Amino acid sequence: MQQLSSRSYEVDDLMSAQELYHSNGWTDGLPVVPPTESAVRACLERAGLPPDHVIGVESVREQPITAEKLAINAVMAGCLPMHFPVVLAAWSAMVKEEFLLHGTTSSTGGCAVLVIINGPIRKEIGASGGFNALGNSDRATACIGRAIRLGLINILDVRPGGIDRSTLGHPGKFSYCIAEDEEDTTWTPLGQMRGIPPGVSSVTVMASMGPRQLMNEWTHEPEEILETFAAEMRASQRHYSIYGGNQIVVIPKQLRDILQKAGWSKADIGRFLHERARIKRKEWADVGKGAVVRDRGESIYTALDSPESCLVVAAGGPAGGFGAVIAPWMGHKTKAVTVPIGAKYVKREEA
Amino acid sequence: MTIRVLDPTNEAKPAAGEEAPRLISLRGTTVGFISNGKEGAKEYFNHLGRMLETEYGVAKVVHRIKSNYSAPADKHIVDEIRSWHAVVTGIGD
Amino acid sequence: MAERLGVPAIGVMTTRFVTAAKLMAKVLGMPDYPFAVIEHPISNAGDAGLEARARATLKDIEERLLKR
Repeated sequence: MQQLSSRSYEVDDLMSAQELYHSNGWTDGLPVVPPTESAVRACLERAGLPPDHVIGVESVREQPITAEKLAINAVMAGCLPMHFPVVLAAWSAMVKEEFLLHGTTSSTGGCAVLVIINGPIRKEIGASGGFNALGNSDRATACIGRAIRLGLINILDVRPGGIDRSTLGHPGKFSYCIAEDEEDTTWTPLGQMRGIPPGVSSVTVMASMGPRQLMNEWTHEPEEILETFAAEMRASQRHYSIYGGNQIVVIPKQLRDILQKAGWSKADIGRFLHERARIKRKEWADVGKGAVVRDRGESIYTALDSPESCLVVAAGGPAGGFGAVIAPWMGHKTKAVTVPIGAKYVKREEA
Repeated sequence: MTIRVLDPTNEAKPAAGEEAPRLISLRGTTVGFISNGKEGAKEYFNHLGRMLETEYGVAKVVHRIKSNYSAPADKHIVDEIRSWHAVVTGIGD
Repeated sequence: MAERLGVPAIGVMTTRFVTAAKLMAKVLGMPDYPFAVIEHPISNAGDAGLEARARATLKDIEERLLKR
């Protein structure tokens, strides 16, 4: 059995452990589960990885990210061994170049890493995708999301005022993880839209702003419902950042049923929003940004790079004509990344 | 009953000539004393170790003796140092 | 050398050995490396004397091992 390389500390009890971790800057401010060797080993065993396995390297500071350190932070976040493969998959996506790990996590923009879970693993870990999907919906998504943040804090030193220069940040920086409801929809799951084969679990990560909730329960016309989503995207272009990239669109059951019944697929939604979510630069003058319109007032900016860059997620409780749009950190400087969760991580039902 | 918990950070390894990062506190740590084994040094370090435990909350004190007091420490001591949080070495008589 | 392993260290010596230690620090590339200095000698200082020297070293330990 391979040795763990991390230093250890002996503490009197649970409360002393809290003080040790807080005083060293190793927490997000909330209590942590003390990471004992046995808890960490249980995670590594579940994932079938040796402690020194390198998931990736943060390229700006050449900082390796090992399975051992990810397991320690996952245990601290409250993860059980069955949650750990999802955490690993999320990190393997975050270290891909197009995600821009350093830029996204250090910027004044204050985004958080949103993790979307697809596939059979959701059922195994109890990841809900139902009520309160963007809030505290279940233990699995709460802890997996938190493991990401603690890993950033401790492995990459992303701390407020240090490497993390976020002016405001947002609550997603505590935990930002949702599971798609794949059962109560006719739509293709997000993972499969992004190339993952059916039956294979996946995570999609995106450096994201906070969710912006909208409401439209007064029509059954798909175009009218989706126009509200487009308007929310246009508003974000005006108020926050005009630049296009991926956008996440969360559609709960009430609105989803209407769209599905009318025969709209996720691809249809992407096409519609790509067309409708766009503004001219001169609109900036309406919202106090006239100074930078300059002579480019007629330039058109789309909130989505392409119809395919719209990531539609079926999630949320059964009632209420609500939806949400989640904007990217900064246009397409960062891209959403989807990776499979290794076949060995998911327990298969016996045939 | 105590709990043994792990460091969640990428423990820093400074470049040659650079200092190791300092500790926030000695509480819960393991401190190693390396002496030359001379009687006075041993007693002095025993006192120091005891004071660190009772007054600074150091969890564990380890005493090691260099086989050759004028040479760098033996390899097995060097290996052990990696698991300590701080080192106190005695120089001279 | 402990420093290079990432472990903060403090060297303690008696007044007699200060010059030699300074030379060693220079050779190792850390010319201003500070040491804790205690009264020489220790070999026949008696238990109370050793305890007193230990107490005097605590301040140096705080300064050298802990973040400021």
